[in-house]
Amino acid sequence: MALLSHLRSLLRNLLRRQKADAELDQEVRSFLELLADEKADAGLTREEAVRAARIELGGVEQVKEAVLDERSGAWVSGMWQDVRYAGRMLRKSPGFATIAILTLALGIGANTAIFSVVDAVLLTPLPFHDPASLAMVWEDNPAHGLLHNTVAPPNFLHWKQQNHCFSAVAPFVDRPMNLTGAGEPEQIAVEYVSPNFFSLLGVNPMLGRGFSPGEDQPGKSKVVVLSYGLWQSKFGGDLAIIGQTVKLSGVPHTVIGVTAPDFDFYISEFSATGERPRLWAPLPEPAEWQDWSKVGRFLRVIARLDSGVSLQQAQAQMNVVAANLAARYPAYDEGWGVALISLRDQLSGTLRPALLILLGAVGFVLLIACANISSLLLSRATGRRREIAIRVALGASPGRIIRQLLTESLLLGILGGAFGAMLALWTTKALVHSGSASVVNVSNVTLDWRILAFAATLSLLAALLAGILPSLMAARGEAAAALPEGGRSSSEGRKSLAARSAFVVVQISLALVLLAGSSLLIQSFLRLTQVNPGFRISRLLTFQVTLPDSKYREDAARIAFFAQFLAKIRALPGTATASADATPPFSSVGARAATDFAIAGEPPRPPGQSLGTDVRVVASGYFRTVDIPLLRGRTFNDRELAQPSNVVVINKTFAERYFAGKNPLEQKIILDMEDTNLPDEIIGVVGDVHESNLASTPVPIAYWPYPQSPYSAMTIVVRTATPPLSMVPAIRETLQQLDKEEPMAKIATVDQLVSDSVASSRFTMLLLSAFAGLALALACIGIYGVMAYSVAQRTHEIGIRLALGAQSRDVLRLVLGQGGRLAFIGVGIGLPAALILTRLMTTLLYRVSASDPSTFAAVALLLALVALLACYLPARRALRLDPTVALRHE
Amino acid sequence: MPVEQTELLQGTLDMLILKALVLGELHGLGVSRRVEQLTRGTFQVRPGSLFPALHRMEEQGWLTSFWGESENKRRAKYYRLTKPGRRQLESETERWQRIAVAITHALQST
Repeated sequence: MALLSHLRSLLRNLLRRQKADAELDQEVRSFLELLADEKADAGLTREEAVRAARIELGGVEQVKEAVLDERSGAWVSGMWQDVRYAGRMLRKSPGFATIAILTLALGIGANTAIFSVVDAVLLTPLPFHDPASLAMVWEDNPAHGLLHNTVAPPNFLHWKQQNHCFSAVAPFVDRPMNLTGAGEPEQIAVEYVSPNFFSLLGVNPMLGRGFSPGEDQPGKSKVVVLSYGLWQSKFGGDLAIIGQTVKLSGVPHTVIGVTAPDFDFYISEFSATGERPRLWAPLPEPAEWQDWSKVGRFLRVIARLDSGVSLQQAQAQMNVVAANLAARYPAYDEGWGVALISLRDQLSGTLRPALLILLGAVGFVLLIACANISSLLLSRATGRRREIAIRVALGASPGRIIRQLLTESLLLGILGGAFGAMLALWTTKALVHSGSASVVNVSNVTLDWRILAFAATLSLLAALLAGILPSLMAARGEAAAALPEGGRSSSEGRKSLAARSAFVVVQISLALVLLAGSSLLIQSFLRLTQVNPGFRISRLLTFQVTLPDSKYREDAARIAFFAQFLAKIRALPGTATASADATPPFSSVGARAATDFAIAGEPPRPPGQSLGTDVRVVASGYFRTVDIPLLRGRTFNDRELAQPSNVVVINKTFAERYFAGKNPLEQKIILDMEDTNLPDEIIGVVGDVHESNLASTPVPIAYWPYPQSPYSAMTIVVRTATPPLSMVPAIRETLQQLDKEEPMAKIATVDQLVSDSVASSRFTMLLLSAFAGLALALACIGIYGVMAYSVAQRTHEIGIRLALGAQSRDVLRLVLGQGGRLAFIGVGIGLPAALILTRLMTTLLYRVSASDPSTFAAVALLLALVALLACYLPARRALRLDPTVALRHE
Repeated sequence: MPVEQTELLQGTLDMLILKALVLGELHGLGVSRRVEQLTRGTFQVRPGSLFPALHRMEEQGWLTSFWGESENKRRAKYYRLTKPGRRQLESETERWQRIAVAITHALQST
């Protein structure tokens, strides 16, 4: 019943407000009259009675206000009033409003953009069932410096049997394969997975089905599942795709399913293809997997943790299993353990530090912007003292005044936030279209409602933060004082100056932290790009060719193919030299010292302590083509490149590490590559290369001539005289002449690959520098504002000084001294803060210490100079003051 | 002896106003004087508290209002108890009596 009555009153108060207000006015006035009547009856004159009644009432407006405050819906109509009033006030000062809204838009827009990336990469749940319980299971060998390594099948089989912590495990391996029988032959990445792979992930294909148990058995008809992208691009989205046949490297397979468009499972670490798989096929589990002598480490494993088992518990359990295996098979497992990592960490772990730092940095920028807006509001408040005083006299409580001033800030915040959100949308769209897609998978960065909610919340918080101090100071200042005329040297002005000075100090500290961080990143990036890769990277074209086993089963066939192909390429006008390498340059397939070897003649080493090296298989003319200097001995001759021969070329790191002080030439080493291994003679030493990653330290490498291990997938490198990409059509034609079903894959120039390899460092550096620059500009504006205000405040004082004979330099010292003091305090706070915070960046820095003294000194100096520069204009204005005018200034 | 205005709690004021209107409708000033009379001068309701209370109670449905003529032929807004208002007065009275007994008892015991 009361509720109904309330509702009725609420509606009446909102809709018939004017009528209700008028009635209230009449009621209070009638009360006044009746009271006056009473007093008149008691003997006072009419005038005295009226006056006494007014005094007793306490003021018609006050009483009305008291009623209005109590009304249901009072806050709603009050808010609406405040909003309209705020709008009017902002329209009256368009300059201020524009600056404030623009500043907020920049700050909030930047924050929203970064947050949307953080959300897409770090927060959005992965598109699998219960993704938090998915983990990658690697082998590791800390003694050899291997934190993650591919898994040996015998180990995998034991893990499958002996674990108590996984509800399912699925091995997978990716390989590049030639897809034929559907348009142009194309090399695609194929992921071979165990039949339980899709059910482990908890996803169903969009069309058809996944694999059933037993489909991996040899003799069964071969089946594949296509990715949505491949289905669209190669088969035009044909709905009758299920049951059709495609050929993988010549072998027919039946299509049984197509994945959903949002299905995305790609582990770049140890990927043999370096790109997302576009087709899945069953991975057979042959009997060889149980034989240590027949297989190496090549599997990757995804596992689902049992419900209730944490990652740490599973890790502890698997450590025990691994220790047992190492004890049982010391020859193969000594020193090897298990490393579990959650799927989320595997996918985004490397990006997390950079993204979080950027998020923090952009938060700082917003704080600096809020400080500027707060200062602007403070200076506006002093200009509105009259207006506020009148409102207080009309019965507004301090709370009401604060509410109204805060509404103005909120209106600024909402407008700034709206523009900021648009700015964020625009910049993320630009990011997606630019090359930065390689850094972060920006395809799933969207501005959905969550991001917008973030932007809205941030706008409100920023507005409140900026507006709270000016509102409090304005309301309190007037509630206490009467209506003084002028008097800028009042305590009000001093408090305002103190607040703004405090803001500036905070701004300078924050700007210093950002500048320090970005300077460190810039230096780090420069050092990174100056690393000598060890070979000449200009005009070097690379592409991959994969020979299908069905056509090139024999070693001799493959050797012949590549020998012919390279000869034809070299004959083309425009090419200088050409060769081939089994490992693509600057790809995610890095160089690891993962192959065991022994030096002939030395006593056998205990298991787990064998020497390690990376093994590269190269074709004729490799060192010359890529331009790696030959340091000692010679490279392979024609005979060694035509048929298997037991020779090997080592690199400088290999020689220094394993043959320190001795002559490695004519020594023999035994590389553990096959079941039986023959010793190879070292015939030469070549220079080191940084070929996977400029920042990594070189590893020992042993180069084998191609015939020793003729891989079917090779990367061709061509040094061209003309721009590399212009040679592609000619080379493709040459390839087609040799085998028309062979595609050229992964065509790139090494220049581009090197640049891409540092793309993420470059991205972070550019963004952080942009934020630091913005912060510096905002802080500069803040300093200028404070100094201008201070000079205006002290006009009178300066006038006196000038009149008493002060020189220009004395006035300058006064102004600059004040500015310098602020800068000094700001730097004093900012330096220790920067030293602490840059420690968080150490993982991002290359050959630069997080507390590099010269960087910090330079940044502090820069800030001090900028601060002094910002004081320049106000100082000049102070100098130009006419003493007579200044003295009259109040 | 008049008690300090600030000590008059909102609930108590509501109750007194309801009681004042039990015998019939009154305008604002009349309510004020009646409360003074009922409490033998102990409580003097200021207009700044009276009006918000009257309007609040009207919104809650305990009073209704209408415009009428005063004794001196002046237009004034009159307030009248509603049935829910009478019920509220009864329950408030009962609650107050229980509180009074409890406090008296507490103060008298050792």
